[in-house]
Amino acid sequence: MSSNTEMADYELVCIIVNFGLGSKVMHTAKKHGISGGTVLLGKGTLKNHLLKFLAITDVRKEVVLMVSDKKKVSQALEQLDKKFKFTKPNHGIAFTTSVSHVLGARSCKSDHIKEGRGAENKMYHSITVIIEKGDAEYVIEAATEAGSKGGTIINARGSGIHETSKLFSMEIEPEKEVVMILSEKESTEAIVSSIRKKLKIDEPGNGIIFIQDVNNTYGLYE
Amino acid sequence: MNVLVSKLKEVLFAVLPITVLVLILNFTLTPLDPTLIIRFIIGAILIIIGLAIFLLGVDLGITPIGRSMGKTIAKSNKIWIVVIAGLMLGFFISIAEPDLHILAGQVDLVTGGLISKVAIVIVVSIGIGVLISTGLVRIVYNFPLYKLLIILYLIIFVLALFTSPEFLAISFDASGATTGALTVPFILALALGVSALKKDSKASEKDSFGLVAVASTGAIMSVMIMNIISETDKMTGSLEHAVIDTTSIFGPFIHEILVIAQEIIVALLPILILFLIFQKVSFKMSRGAFRKVLMGLLFTFLGLVLFLVGVNAGFMDVGTTIGHNIASLDNKAYVIIVAFVLGLVTILAEPAVHVLTHQIEDVTSGYVKRKVVMSTLSIGVGLAVLLSIIRILIPELQLWHYLLPGYVIALAMTFFVPKLFVGIAFDSGGVASGPMTATFILAFVQGVAESIEGANVLIDGFGMIALVAMTPIIALQILGLVFKLKSRKEKGGLERNVE
Repeated sequence: MSSNTEMADYELVCIIVNFGLGSKVMHTAKKHGISGGTVLLGKGTLKNHLLKFLAITDVRKEVVLMVSDKKKVSQALEQLDKKFKFTKPNHGIAFTTSVSHVLGARSCKSDHIKEGRGAENKMYHSITVIIEKGDAEYVIEAATEAGSKGGTIINARGSGIHETSKLFSMEIEPEKEVVMILSEKESTEAIVSSIRKKLKIDEPGNGIIFIQDVNNTYGLYE
Repeated sequence: MNVLVSKLKEVLFAVLPITVLVLILNFTLTPLDPTLIIRFIIGAILIIIGLAIFLLGVDLGITPIGRSMGKTIAKSNKIWIVVIAGLMLGFFISIAEPDLHILAGQVDLVTGGLISKVAIVIVVSIGIGVLISTGLVRIVYNFPLYKLLIILYLIIFVLALFTSPEFLAISFDASGATTGALTVPFILALALGVSALKKDSKASEKDSFGLVAVASTGAIMSVMIMNIISETDKMTGSLEHAVIDTTSIFGPFIHEILVIAQEIIVALLPILILFLIFQKVSFKMSRGAFRKVLMGLLFTFLGLVLFLVGVNAGFMDVGTTIGHNIASLDNKAYVIIVAFVLGLVTILAEPAVHVLTHQIEDVTSGYVKRKVVMSTLSIGVGLAVLLSIIRILIPELQLWHYLLPGYVIALAMTFFVPKLFVGIAFDSGGVASGPMTATFILAFVQGVAESIEGANVLIDGFGMIALVAMTPIIALQILGLVFKLKSRKEKGGLERNVE
């Protein structure tokens, strides 16, 4: 890390696209100055009564996470938007959140550019919910009841201090699911409290919710 | 894009190559009867729709059931539960497998009833049950897969010394037959359920594979042991050759649909019953999740029936006719080339292959891409079909001339191939020999055997599946080596991912 205490503003870019596009998104982003990214496999949900009846509401998604400074992010995102057409329905979603420090990414060294982009629409929140595997559906259900438009589910595993244990000769970690939901600021409260109530998040071991401010969004439509 | 569309697209790319190939052959080397071609096209359409629905059903039904069972068994934390549950699951799943019943029927026939059909089905199912327990115990106790496989294949090798050549082929085929379109996704999911619990993510990744491979050795061993005990050396009779009906287009479809629907109901029943029992006792899924699984099973059923009807009524006769016609040509190079290409494209439409490749992609988070595994697999199977045609053309070539060096190479490679790929490779051996190979390619090979003088339809035909089960093991391990070399290079570079 540079010894400079003055840091450029870093942003975490999170792009959710249909399965198979993750590597392409990363490739394009790299061309426009972002040094690299991480791709996760995720699951989205569709809202459609016929499909719900047939129980085929899951869509495979890929989530791309990238960190870079603000200027590069906004450049890259504009290019990505042009190429992948996030503005069209179902072409993907991108949003950015602020990050306070980045370690380990060499090309992210600060170059002292601080641009006041006043045009940012801080209208959204990103809600992240971590729960036991299998509960993601309830989270999405609870969120939709409170006015959310959907969410992305990622498989994960947890390592709470009380939760690792040993079965036979294998150490195990409980499986978790991570649900990411973008919400408008006004409805965040309702969504969170709905999830909180339905999943009894306040009881120990039932899960964690955290909320982040979103700086920029692409591909969200009313 | 919704799941149905994406599945249809995936399946379309899997079934189109073989359809195009047959049509090209129709217009060049071997003009086929128009009725046959129409039936073939209807068959292809049924296969596309059926495969798409089936794969959806597996995602929604079979996989969640298998995974939850695996998890529940491991969480019991009692070894006797793991052993008994493994035995029961293995036994009930394999006893209902339609392919096993067909194989047992054939063995019954060729031994003149000395080894009865019921006996084979039961003994093979017990074999599979024992080996599934062994495989599960292996995962929970972290015993290395390659060591277990070497031990199992050494036992097979010793047994093989006492087995008659005809039964050698049948026993290896049995391993392919028992790991059918329904059992493979289930066993894969079972292994995934147990290993997903592991804290060490590398171990959990590689332990998700290998259980199919271990289970299928159970079938090989049990058939060999039966042969040794009952001392049946003589194979009498030959496969009854179905008269190719070229007059009716829809007749064969209607005839097949009833038979197959019944078979699949029987095969799905144990999975459904086990699920209901587990749901009552330990899963306690929510109503929504429960309904989803049941819907998944319904899809699995519908999809598999459509798929199998398409293959049996639309593809089989075409396979036999093409094989027969091309092998009758003076230039034998044609039949060898066609065999290779046919193997190459047929495997793409194999249901279990899709399930396996998706699971590989999921488990490795996209590090090992589907397309790469698919292409490697299809080269492997192409070579297998080619080798079995060569064996028909050269009567002196025995099956063990292929199998012995093949398995020696495959087992030797396990020592230096990345362990993830050892599991994937041995699993894909069982997966490659599914309904598509067992009907279409088998029909082609038998067609060839029929037109070549001195070839025995029975022996030559049987050995083909054994080869299809072997070559992918080598092919995918080579792929593993390539991955190893490549990732070593990349590690030296400066480029790194931002976590």
